[in-house]
Amino acid sequence: MRTLPTTTRRALLGTAAGGTALLAAPGLLRAQPAPVKIGLLQPLTGALAQDGDLGRIGAEAAVAKINGDGGLRALGGAKIELVVADARSNPEAGVQEVEKLQGEGVVAIVGGFASPICLAASQAAARYDLPYVVDVGVADSIVSRGLTNTFRLAPGFGTVTSAAVENLIRLNDGAGKPCKTVVLVHEDGLFGSGLAKLMQTELPKHGFEVLETIAHPTPARDMNNIALRLRSLRPDLLIPSSYYGEFVLLSRTMRQQRIRPKGIYAVLNGAASNYRFVKEFPDAALGVMDCNHWHDPKNAEAIALKAQVEASGKFWAYNIPLNYSCVKLVADAVNRAGAADRAKVLQALTTSDYSGHIMPYGPTRFVNGQNAGARPVNTQVQDGDIKVIFPTEVADSRPVFPIQG
Amino acid sequence: MSARDLWPGLALLALIALLPFVASNTALNFLLSVLIVALAAQGWNILGGYAGQLSFGHAAFFGTGAYATAILQLRFGVNAWIGLAAGIALGALVGWAIGALSFRARLRGSYFALVTLAFAEVLRILANAADVTGGAAGLLIRLSPGVANLQFPSRAVFLWLVAATVAGVLVLTAWIARGRFGAQLVAVRENEDAARALGVDVLGVKLRAIALSGAITAAAGCLYAQNFLYLDANIAYGTWISVEVLIACVLGGAGTVLGPVLGALALHGVGEIAKIALGHIVGPVPGVDLIVFGALLVLAIAFLPRGVMGGLRRLGQGLAR
Repeated sequence: MRTLPTTTRRALLGTAAGGTALLAAPGLLRAQPAPVKIGLLQPLTGALAQDGDLGRIGAEAAVAKINGDGGLRALGGAKIELVVADARSNPEAGVQEVEKLQGEGVVAIVGGFASPICLAASQAAARYDLPYVVDVGVADSIVSRGLTNTFRLAPGFGTVTSAAVENLIRLNDGAGKPCKTVVLVHEDGLFGSGLAKLMQTELPKHGFEVLETIAHPTPARDMNNIALRLRSLRPDLLIPSSYYGEFVLLSRTMRQQRIRPKGIYAVLNGAASNYRFVKEFPDAALGVMDCNHWHDPKNAEAIALKAQVEASGKFWAYNIPLNYSCVKLVADAVNRAGAADRAKVLQALTTSDYSGHIMPYGPTRFVNGQNAGARPVNTQVQDGDIKVIFPTEVADSRPVFPIQG
Repeated sequence: MSARDLWPGLALLALIALLPFVASNTALNFLLSVLIVALAAQGWNILGGYAGQLSFGHAAFFGTGAYATAILQLRFGVNAWIGLAAGIALGALVGWAIGALSFRARLRGSYFALVTLAFAEVLRILANAADVTGGAAGLLIRLSPGVANLQFPSRAVFLWLVAATVAGVLVLTAWIARGRFGAQLVAVRENEDAARALGVDVLGVKLRAIALSGAITAAAGCLYAQNFLYLDANIAYGTWISVEVLIACVLGGAGTVLGPVLGALALHGVGEIAKIALGHIVGPVPGVDLIVFGALLVLAIAFLPRGVMGGLRRLGQGLAR
C-alpha cells in the first residue's frame, strides 16, 4: 500500500529534475536545434532477446550514420535521438512501451520484430496517430487492418512464400528436377503453421509430393524423433521453418544421424541465414538455402555496415540492415516533412519514394502501408559464408543444388 | 474479516481511480495491467485461498473469457458488453466442468494442481490449432473506440471500469468470507472429512467455488482482451497468467480479502519502481524488473510465509503489544 505515494513522489522528483534540466538546456545549447526523437521497440529481454539486440545494433548504426553526416538537413542539422524500449518478447509489454514512447514524444516508432508484438504495438500507436514502421513482422494482417499509421518496408508472409515457391521450382527445374518428395518440418506458431499449410497446397500443384508435415513446439529440446522420421521417409527435400534454436538442433541431429537430403530449403528461417549458425556449426550449415530478408549484397553502404558490425565482434543478421533501413526511412520522412510533426511525417511516409535504404527493394512505394517493391531473396550457405543466389540481378553467387549431386 | 478491514482496500482503489487526474498514460497503462492481474488473482483466491484447492491452471478460465469476448465480437458481431457477460458465464461453465471432472475423481492437492495445469495446456494447444481462435496468428479486435464497443479513447475510463470490478469482487469476497459459504469453504480447506462429518456438501461447495473462481478470472480475461485488443493462444491460455495469479496470491496472502490485490501491486510495483529508479541512476538495465521480481518472491517466501497481509497483521499485533 505504501508503494503508491512513493511512486508519485519519485515520479515528481524525476519530473522536477528533468524539467529543470530541460529549462537549463536551451541556454547551453542555443546554437543546436532540438534533437528529434525516434522510438525503437525491440524485444531486448526474454525469448527473442537475440533478435532484439540485432535490431538495436542496426538502428543505432543508422542514427550514428545520420548524425555523423550532419543530422537532419531540413531541420537545420538537428540530431536524431533514439529512444530504446524493451518489448520483453511479448505483445502486452510492447503495448506498454508504446505508451512510454508516446509519453517521451517520439516522432515515430520503428521495430517490433515478432508479428504479435507488431500487431499489438502498431494498434496501440494508432490511438495517437503515431507513425509505426514495422522492421520484420511478416504477418499479412499487420498491413491489412486499415491502420493509416502502420508501414512495412520488408515483404510480408504472402510475398515471401510465393517467391519461395517460385524460386524453388526454378531451382529444381534448372537442376533437372532432382527433387520430387518433400517433408515439411515447422514450429507450431504463427509462421510455421501458416507456411506449412500454404506449402501443402502449393507444392503438389508443381509436381512435388509432400510425404509428411511434422510440427514441433518452440522451444523444443530434442529433435531425435523428427530426425528418425526423416530417416525412414527419405525425402529429397526438407523444408524447415523454425526459430534459431530448433533449426540448429534439427540440422545437427540430422548431421549426427547422417541424414542428407538433396537439399534443405528453408523459408523465413531463424538460423539458415544467420552467421552465428554458419560459424558455430559450419558442417551442419553447409548448403542450406533460405528464402528470407537480406541486404542488397551489391550496395556499398550495406557492405560497409556489415564490415563495421563484424569488426565489433557481432554476428550479422537481416535484423540489422532492416532496422538500419527503417530508421533511415523515418529520418528521410522527417526531412521530407520539414518538421518533427507526426501528421506531416505520416503524410511523407505515405508518399515516400526513398531509395537510400540498403535492402534490394528499389525506391519505396507504400500501398496501404506495405512497401510494394519489397521482396525476399534466396540465400545459400557456401564456403562458410552466406551468399545470395536469387534473384539473379542481386545475386552474388550461383546456387549449388542438389547438394549431393 | 470484518467490513472494517475492507476499507483500506476500497480506499486504495479509490486512490487509484483518482490517479488519472495526475498520472501519465504510461502509469495508467501499467496500473491497468496490474489491476487485471489482481482481478484474475481474486478469482484464484476463492478456490485456492479460501477453499484450499490449489490450481496451476487458471489460464483455462482467463483464456476462455478472453477468447469468448473476442470471438463473439469478431465472428458473430455480438456487442462487446454481451461478449463480456458471455465470457464470464463461459468461465464459470469451464470451471464447473473441470471441477466436476476432477473433484468427482477425488483429486486433491498436487494431483488437482497438475490436472488443472493439464486442462489449461490442452486448451492452449487447441486454441493454437483451431481456426475459430485464429490459430497461431491470434485474434485482433478492431480498434474502434466507443462505449458500446467497450473501448474507450481515454485510458482513465477503462481504468475506472477495471478498478470498479476489482472493488466489486473485493466486496463480494468479504461478503462470502463472512457468510455461511465462506465458513464452508474454510472447513473444506482445513479438513474435508471433518467438514463432511459436520454435514457440509463437500463436492457442492468445491464446485460452487471453482465456478465462481472461473467466472472472476474469466472477467479478467475479457477485460484483458478489450484492453490490448490482441490475443493468441500463448497470451490467453499461456502459463504466465496461471503463475502470476498464484504468485500474487502467495505474495499478498492467500485466503485473505485484500491479499491478491496487494500481492499484484507489490509484485509489479516494486519491479517497475526498481526499473525506473535504476534507469535514472545507471541508465536502462534490460530485465532488472524481472530480477527484482524473483528476488522479491524469494524474500517473501523466506520472511512472509503468510504474505503481505500476514506480515501487516503481525506488524499490527506487534505494535498493539
